[in-house]
Amino acid sequence: MTVGPRLFSILRQGTCLIASIHTALDDSQLLRFQEDLIATIGRDRARGVVIDVAALDVLDSFATSTLRDIGEMARLRGAATVIVGIQPDVAIAMVRLGLRTGVLETALDLEEGLALLGDRMAGSPAARR
Amino acid sequence: MRSVPRVAGGGADSRDGGSLPGMPAPAPAGPPPERRRPLDVAALIPIVRRIVAARVPDRATADDLVQETLARVLAAVERIEPGMVEPYAIVTARNVVATMWRDQDRQRRHQHRVVDLRPPQLPDEDVLAEEDRAAMAEALTRLSERERSTLLAHEVSGQDTHSLAAELGSTAGAVAAQLNRTRARLRVEYLLAADRVEPPTPRCRPVLLALSSGDRRRQREVDAARHLLECEVCARLSEPLMGRGRSRDDEVRVAVHADADVVAARQAARDLATRLGFSPTDLTGIATAVSEVVRNIVRFADAGEVLVELLDSPRRGIRIIARDSGPGIPDVQEALRDGYSTYRGLGLGLPGARRLMDEFAVASEPGRGTTVTMTKWREDA
Repeated sequence: MTVGPRLFSILRQGTCLIASIHTALDDSQLLRFQEDLIATIGRDRARGVVIDVAALDVLDSFATSTLRDIGEMARLRGAATVIVGIQPDVAIAMVRLGLRTGVLETALDLEEGLALLGDRMAGSPAARR
Repeated sequence: MRSVPRVAGGGADSRDGGSLPGMPAPAPAGPPPERRRPLDVAALIPIVRRIVAARVPDRATADDLVQETLARVLAAVERIEPGMVEPYAIVTARNVVATMWRDQDRQRRHQHRVVDLRPPQLPDEDVLAEEDRAAMAEALTRLSERERSTLLAHEVSGQDTHSLAAELGSTAGAVAAQLNRTRARLRVEYLLAADRVEPPTPRCRPVLLALSSGDRRRQREVDAARHLLECEVCARLSEPLMGRGRSRDDEVRVAVHADADVVAARQAARDLATRLGFSPTDLTGIATAVSEVVRNIVRFADAGEVLVELLDSPRRGIRIIARDSGPGIPDVQEALRDGYSTYRGLGLGLPGARRLMDEFAVASEPGRGTTVTMTKWREDA
């Protein structure tokens, strides 16, 4: 990982991962976050991922496309992804910018996100085994 | 301590033993020059050498110090009591070594004062200096007679503005302002002369003059930034002029080279915009737009610069000028359309940023670079 303070953390909570971004990340840091997260999904056999972006003051086209990529990659690895904590001003800017995040599940905060994932996993065929 | 082998025939005992009790002592410290046979310096060499060598590893230096010690002993031998020559030599050797150490130490401490920081003279320095002088002379001739004489009186003869004002029937402040304008002109003329170019358009001189004087209002009047993009000569000539003018706290420049600068630029823009009291929504929009525009610099041009400045006229607002010297955008109209993307992006960079700002302009010239200028006005101001 990087030197200096950690820019993001990936914690395990049951079968879920909680990935929090702590500060504004530049593009290469975002890509490292993506790599780490996808690797952790496989290592921890996670079924769901909550990505907390509450600390981000800007979600521009690159950040959004990275989040979309993460969602898609996680899906391919068998995990559902929920983005939580998008700030109201960030949401406004994203829409004005013309970003579409339709394929991404979102929830207001961490609690809602975990609840959503719980529903999702309870309903998935994998969980019914 | 070892005995003294050959110095003065070991005469101390014979002399002291000579004064019998009861007898008037014959001047005990009487001069015994006859016993001072020439000092055998060679006998001292081994011990002195040993003492010095134990302290100074370098052989050449050690030899020097041994010589120095022997010289001092020889010089002092008249004052040394017989039998004390060897101890004297030993102490002298130690002192000589200690003195050298002290000198070295002092030298080390003061070394930084001696270092010559001037770069060595380059082979073309004289030629360049000569060209410099020629350009300056040429520039001076292009000033008006009055400007030149005032400037020279002030700069070369050191006449102060008060006495100049008295001569010219003006005030000191007016003379100082005049001098400033003259210096600005001189800078421009010097650059033109040094480059041996004539400004290609009639707009060039006023623009360069405005840049040289650092007068932002004037720069805006002549639309200096735009002209610099259009005029290659001025873009080149103005480089040394760009840093001029008082540095103000209502503008920030961020050099852009790498990913991290995108974050730095948008934070700088947000910080500056916060001072103007933009709403949080607008702040986020500005930061997002800056992020998009600056990312384009990193991605396509490798290097560029973002200038964020606060405006108070015609309204209060913030203007962001992102310049790069990259390959340029071949079709600006196309680039402003949603979905246009030449890399793994969403193709929303420019059109998206345009939607977030109030004014948005792209000037691009293939091969020369791109400048994006965007402005956000305070809604209620």
